[in-house]
Parts: sequence; C-alpha cells; structure tokens
Amino acid sequence: MNRGIRRVGGTVVVLLLVLVGQLTYLQIIDAANLDRDPRNLRSVLRDFNRPRGEIISADGEVLARSVRSDDGTEFEYQREYPAGGLTVQVVGYQSFVVGNVGIERTYNQELSGRAPELRSLGDVLRAKETTGTVVLELRAAVQRVAAEALGEQRGSVVVLDVRTGGIVTMYSNPTYDPQPLAGHDTQAVADVFAALSADPAKPDLPRAYREIYPPGSTFKVVTSAVAFDAGTATPTTVFPPLDALPLPLTDNVLRNFGGATCGGTVFEAFVVSCNTVFARMGLDLGTRFPPGLERFGVEGPPPPLDVYPGAARNTGLEGADFRTDTPKYAFAGIGQGTVATSPLEMALVAAAVANGGTVLEPRAAREVRAADGAVVQAFAPRPWKTAMTPATAQVLNAMMRAVVERGTGTRAQIAGVAVAGKTGTAQNSTGAPHAWFIGFAPADAPRYAVAVIVENGGSSGSEATGGAVAAPVAARVLEAALRP
Amino acid sequence: MVVAPSPVVSDATADAPSPTRIRVPRRRATTRRRRTELLLGVFALVTTTFGYALVQLADAPDLPPDLWAILAGVIGLFVVAHLAVRWLAPDADPTLLPLAAFLTGFGFLVVARLDEDLARVQAVWAAVGVVAFVVTLAVVRRIRTLERYRYTFLLLGVLALVLPLFPGLGAEINGARLWVRLGPLNFQPGEAAKVLLVIFFAAYLVDKREMLSTGTRWVGRVALPDPKYLGPLLLAWGASLLIMVRQKDLGSSLLFFAVFAAMLYIATDRGSYLLIGFGLFAGGAVIAYQLFDHVQTRVSTWIDPWPVAQDEGFQLVQSMFAFGSGGFAGAGLGLGNPTTIPNVATDFVFSAVGEELGLVGGIAVVAVVLLLCGSGYRIAVQAARPFPKLFAAGLTTIIGVQTFVIIGGVTRVIPLTGVTLPFVSYGGSSLVANFVILALLLRISDDNARVRVAGPAGAATSGAPPMTTSPPSATAPPARPR
Repeated sequence: MNRGIRRVGGTVVVLLLVLVGQLTYLQIIDAANLDRDPRNLRSVLRDFNRPRGEIISADGEVLARSVRSDDGTEFEYQREYPAGGLTVQVVGYQSFVVGNVGIERTYNQELSGRAPELRSLGDVLRAKETTGTVVLELRAAVQRVAAEALGEQRGSVVVLDVRTGGIVTMYSNPTYDPQPLAGHDTQAVADVFAALSADPAKPDLPRAYREIYPPGSTFKVVTSAVAFDAGTATPTTVFPPLDALPLPLTDNVLRNFGGATCGGTVFEAFVVSCNTVFARMGLDLGTRFPPGLERFGVEGPPPPLDVYPGAARNTGLEGADFRTDTPKYAFAGIGQGTVATSPLEMALVAAAVANGGTVLEPRAAREVRAADGAVVQAFAPRPWKTAMTPATAQVLNAMMRAVVERGTGTRAQIAGVAVAGKTGTAQNSTGAPHAWFIGFAPADAPRYAVAVIVENGGSSGSEATGGAVAAPVAARVLEAALRP
Repeated sequence: MVVAPSPVVSDATADAPSPTRIRVPRRRATTRRRRTELLLGVFALVTTTFGYALVQLADAPDLPPDLWAILAGVIGLFVVAHLAVRWLAPDADPTLLPLAAFLTGFGFLVVARLDEDLARVQAVWAAVGVVAFVVTLAVVRRIRTLERYRYTFLLLGVLALVLPLFPGLGAEINGARLWVRLGPLNFQPGEAAKVLLVIFFAAYLVDKREMLSTGTRWVGRVALPDPKYLGPLLLAWGASLLIMVRQKDLGSSLLFFAVFAAMLYIATDRGSYLLIGFGLFAGGAVIAYQLFDHVQTRVSTWIDPWPVAQDEGFQLVQSMFAFGSGGFAGAGLGLGNPTTIPNVATDFVFSAVGEELGLVGGIAVVAVVLLLCGSGYRIAVQAARPFPKLFAAGLTTIIGVQTFVIIGGVTRVIPLTGVTLPFVSYGGSSLVANFVILALLLRISDDNARVRVAGPAGAATSGAPPMTTSPPSATAPPARPR
C-alpha cells in the first residue's frame, strides 16, 4: 500500500504546487492588470484613505486639497475645491462614486504619490506616504476675469501661452460646483450627478474642449494659411467684388454678411471678412484643402490634452468628395458646413500664427512637486504639428493686426498693446449665430493667444457679431493675461 | 525520525496468530519529540500573536487591551493540547500539532481582521476543537478499536449526511442545505460525516481489498474487477451525487469522491479504479451540469467570470482583484480591502490572506498545509497494519484535497465550490472536525512508534528512514493475476 500512499501524496503535492503556480500568476504576472481594473475598487479606496497632493494654479491659488475627514464614513480624507466651479473644467474632481475626471484623473498617480518619480526605494521600504503637488499653467486671476467677462452668457474662453502651449485659462459657462461630487455619501453623490446630467443647460459639459461649433469667419485664418502655402492665392491676389457666389452643382448662392458686396485683395477681404472671397478660395484649394486642415488638427486625431477625458475631435471636410460635394469646400472656406471646432482648437490656430506656424501641444500641468517642494517632473513644450510656413505666419500676423486696427475686430484693442485677431459670426442650427473671436497679443512679440465664443450671440442675440460680443471679452482677458 | 532498537516486551493484547505486538518503553526520543513540539509550537504562537497585534495596530495607535487575554487564551489552548499529547500519545509525531496550531492561530487573526464578532465565536470554537482533540485522544486509545465498529460509523456518517435534508431540522444557508439548527446553534454535520465515512471506508476496504484488487475481466490491458465488488464504488458515487444535487454542495461532493477514490486506489493498488472513478465522477458531473442551473452557473463563471463580474461572478472577480492587489508582499495586515468580497471569512478567507500578506503569505499557508500532509502521509507509510495505514492516508487526503478545492476555487483553477480552508476559515463544525482528524493522526503516529509489527515478511521493522524504505507491505500481498 505504501506505493499507493506515496502516489496519492505525490498527487496532493502536485495539486498544491498548481495552487502556488496560479498564485504566482495572479499576484505577480497578472497583478498589475487586476489592480488597475476599473471594477477593482481597491485603488480608488486606497486613494480616498491616504493623503493626496494639492492642485495649485500658476499664480499660487490652491484649487484642490485634501483634509482629514471626520464625517464618520470609512474614508479618512475629504477632497476640497476652494475655487469651486471656476476651475472645475480643468481641475475636475475626485469621486468615489462616479470616478475622477480632469487633472484629478490624468495626474492621479502623481497626486496620490504613486508615480515612480515621487517614490524612492527608501520610501517603499518604510511604506512612507508620499504625495505629489500638481502645479498648473492655469492662472486663477485670468480665469476669474474670463468668467466675469462672459457673465451670464453661455460660452468659452481659452488662453494659451504661445511659447509653451500652457493653458493659462480654460473656462466655460455654465459651470458647476465639484464639491458635492467629491462627497462620501454614495447616494447623495449619485443624486447630484444625475441632476447635473439631466440639466438641459449641460453645466457638466466642459465646452471649451469637449464641444465643437462651426467656427465661422475665424476659420478664414486657416483657409488663408492653407491657400498661401498651397500657392492657390497670395495676400495680394485680387477677387472680383460679388454680393453672392454661385455654388457649383446647385442653384444656391453663398451670400456675404448683411447682403454686402465685397471683393479685392485677399488681405482686404480678410480685414472686412468677405465671405465670397474665402468661399472661392476654398473651391480653388479643392483636394488640397483637407491635407491643409489636417496640419491644423482640424481633421484627424483631436489635440492631445492632459485633462481627462481629453479634447473633442474637430471635424473638417470629413472625406467630402470635391467632385460631387463641391459646395462643402466653399462652406469650409468660411468655417461653415461640415467644419466644426472646439474653442481650444481655435486658440491653437491663433497660437500657431503667433508662434511662426508651429502648433504646440496644449498642456494644463506645468510641473509636479514632491511634498518638500522640489520639482520632480517639469513638462517641456512639445510641438504637435506644423500648420504653416513661418512666412505665411508672418503675413497672417499682419492681416490679423489689421483686423483689430481697422477691420471687424476693433473692439479687441488694448491700450498700449498691439492685438492681432479675427472675428467670426457663425451660423448654426441652435439659434442665433455664435460670436467668435480668436487672436493674440502683443502682435509684435506674441505671448498669449485667445479664443472666445459666445454661444448664440449671448445677451445680444441675433444682433450679435463676433466683433461686437466676443472681441471685448478677448480684450479683457488678454489684458489680464498680460498684466504681470 | 529516530526509533532506537529496544528491549522487546510481549504485549498480552496482541492478536493471534500474528503479528506480534511489541511495546517500546518510553525513552529519551519521546521527550525529545515533545520538546520539539513545544518549540515549534512557540514559533507558531509567537507568529500568530504578532500577527494579531499587527491587525489591531492597523486600526489603532495602541496595542489592544485584550492582547494579553488573547495571548493567554492561545497559549492556554496550545498548552492543553500539548499536555494531552504528552500524556495520551507521547510518541506521536512532533510536527502535526504545531502546524495545526499555526493554521488555527493564523486563521483566527485573519478572521479577527475581517470581523471581530466572528473572531470571538471562532475563539470559542477553537476551544471546543481542543476539547474534542483531547477527548478523541483519550477515548480512542487504540486505533484498531475504530475498525471494529465500521458499520456503526457508516450508519452515523450517512445519518449525518442526510440530517440537513430533514424538514424542521435542516436549514439552508447561502444556497446550500448543509446545516442543522439546534436552538441557537447551527452546525454542519457533513463535517463529522467526512471523518465517520473515512473510518468506514478504511475498514471496509482493508477487509475487501483482496477481492477488489483481483481483476477478472480484461478490457485491452486493463483489468476490471468483478462487477459485484464495484458496489462500494457505486455507492460512494451515488452518495456524492446525492450531496451535489440535494444539498447543492459541490465542494463536499468532490471532496468525498476524491478521498474515496484515493483510498480505493491505495487499498487495491489498481489504477483501473482511478480511471473508473474518474469516469463515473465526470459522467455524474456532466449529468449534473445538464440538469441543474447552479452547476452550470458555477462552471460558466469559472470559465469566464468577466461578463458576469457584477452578478454571479462578483465573488470570484473580487477575489482575483484581491490577489492582484496583494501582489508579492501584500497590502499589510489590516491595510487591504478584503471585505469587498462577500463571505470573505469563510469560503474566501484565503483571498484575504493573498491581499494582505501577498504571494509570500499565500505560499506560506500552502506550505504549512503541505508540511501537514507530508507528516500525515509519513504516518500512513510508517503504519504497520493496513487499517491505520489507509485511515491515516484517507484523513490526510481530506486535508490536502479540501485545501486544493477551496484555494483552487478562489484562485480560478477549478470551479468555485464552498468548502472551508482547513483550520483557517471561520467555521466551527469544520474546525472541530479538523481537530478530531489531527487527534486521530496523532493516535496512529503514537501507535506506529510504540508498536511495531514483526510480520512474516518482516516488513516495517527496520529503523531506516521511512520515506526511503520500499519493501512491499507485508499485509498487502500482490494478488494480480497474469
């Protein structure tokens, strides 16, 4: 019988070794996957029970912080958002119930101190709790000016640092207070979230980078750049004066704003925002138009953005065939039709002109600091695309300066500073036209680029134009940004 | 193991005509074994006490005020068990009790970390277990006594199995009808049935092994036994299916059948029984799969738990998350979140170990079970007479297979079935039954050391290390026809 006993014993040993093998698989090989699985609440629970770094603005305001919680729940820390709705569209929130968004999500590893840069071997061995502070490019003071300038009007303001791609301001109205969503009462949080989601005004939508709109005449910057680089037009090319452009393959015509008749050089048509000229330029570009749009990021993947859930994808000509869908190329020339862009994208367009043609990746975070204040990670500017040649950028700079000096954008002027810009009044399906302004300042040595949209003309309604409604907002915000 | 040659004293109770029993008087080796046991026990106690202190420190800055009471209780229980062994089975194996003490103490501290109230109940059950341990050692003075009452044990075992099915007496908890409710007490008689039926199996198989191992029909090169001797196999098959179907207890069913098949194989040395047994079980399992939803659910959840991660697969997926989050070294006692797994203190206690003590802690538990099984099988090999040999092997197989079934279940090696992790899981009936198994193994071990058989073939009389001896067992003459 001993042989049988040894064999059975051997079998039991093998069975137990199989367990050791499977344990090794689960706990070593597959461990990271299991730990990261969104259905595994452990990492979330851990994050709510350990200190978490602050999120602070470039001008030193604390936008998010963790404090000890004594609300009797299992959670030891409570996240607080002193700036509330002002910065929520960038900062986001940390929620046990509905998940994290914004910087709280993108830089979760850094904030919770798990990022490798923050942990030395000694910390791991001592099980020391490390946290990281995320410093934003965002300036709370400028953000506040943007919010005040928009007032009750629905819309967005984006300000970019031309030289770094840093997001100085990214605000949209309406907004919401993230504090209730960071609460510890599961049901209360779920109720608040459901109410936000059901609100027809969509306060939970970060319009500045998650919504796309027809950009209207501000898109003439793009059309011009693509045409100049393609050689289908120059600033001095002369177009005949028209009040309406017949659209090929249809009986329809494309009219100028207010039924006006305009034409002349591209430069002058840009200054007065003459639709027939730029629609014609769109047609002249033909199949060369879509690749040009891709160089701006209007077609193709959306701009990379370190704010979860990232920027919305813009739409350009979307594969419209020039031979059968010709009118779409005319509409695209004036930023209508199939073209729709986020305010962030239009700020990138302005910044590309200001920057000599290079589009930098937009970036909300400037650096990560350890608990002792030392910078452990600094984010350098990263080029994303080359939108146009430096020569074209220089020409567009002059054209945009003329718009603000004597064209449709005079209300964007700032005392003592040369401003370059372009207005837009975009037809859309939701009501009165959207008022747009994109630009940068100082025009001779650009520092900040801006994009402003006031949805449906805001308080001015159907009377609104980009020059009347959006340009003053841009001026106030640029002035604030330029203030040291 | 040291068995020194010693003066031979004839034992009046020896069975005629052979073999002759020889009583070895107590010697230095005896005291050394018990000293080893005490030393190993101190290790187990120190480890578990430190662990308990750590659990408490994870929640509060100070050592718990009841630490000394707990410590005294744990030490007290071990000392009682140890003294009982000194007195009642002085020559028994020195490793079994410390290993069991480690697992029990470890189980207590993990349960204490999961649920303080359950831990208090578990402490009481541990005390009851030690009492059962001492009583078993005191009552079963010679293992052969059990052999004599085999049919009584069969009757008791079957009764224990079907007890939960009686209306008014049985109760269904967590979807399995395993419980008997007596006033405030719930217990699982199935745990007792395990031990009772293994006694019967061992005795019955020893009795009938020659007939069973005589093949009469040949299918190809495989000798099949006479169909009339297949009776017990079919009986066991039927019983395990009954448990599976009526009580919805897949784990126990698998356990019963595996242990019985292993014992049949050991008794007859015939691989064909294993094949037949495996075939029967597979057939039964397939039929059960076709007929019963809960079996289908278990299997489909095992094959792919992810689509049902929020429903039927929740426990299993949470368990795997626990292991994944535990990683190599674990979150630390009291610092993980094992309570996200439903029933973590009973079926999923090992997942809590994996999360908070990591791969290291999990392997440690498996290793201790491995050592425990090693000692058990060594006792079986060393036993001279067939009954204790088979009995010890059966008892050890219970512990080994049960460990595999539950750990394999929570780690998705096999479909999840609810059995306890021996000595570790929360569960009174199981703990008491395991202490009885421990006492019986120690009893056999003590018999082995003190009584050696001088059989006709002279087997098992040498003092050589037992795991390396390989003489054919004198009491198991190979009776294989050509």
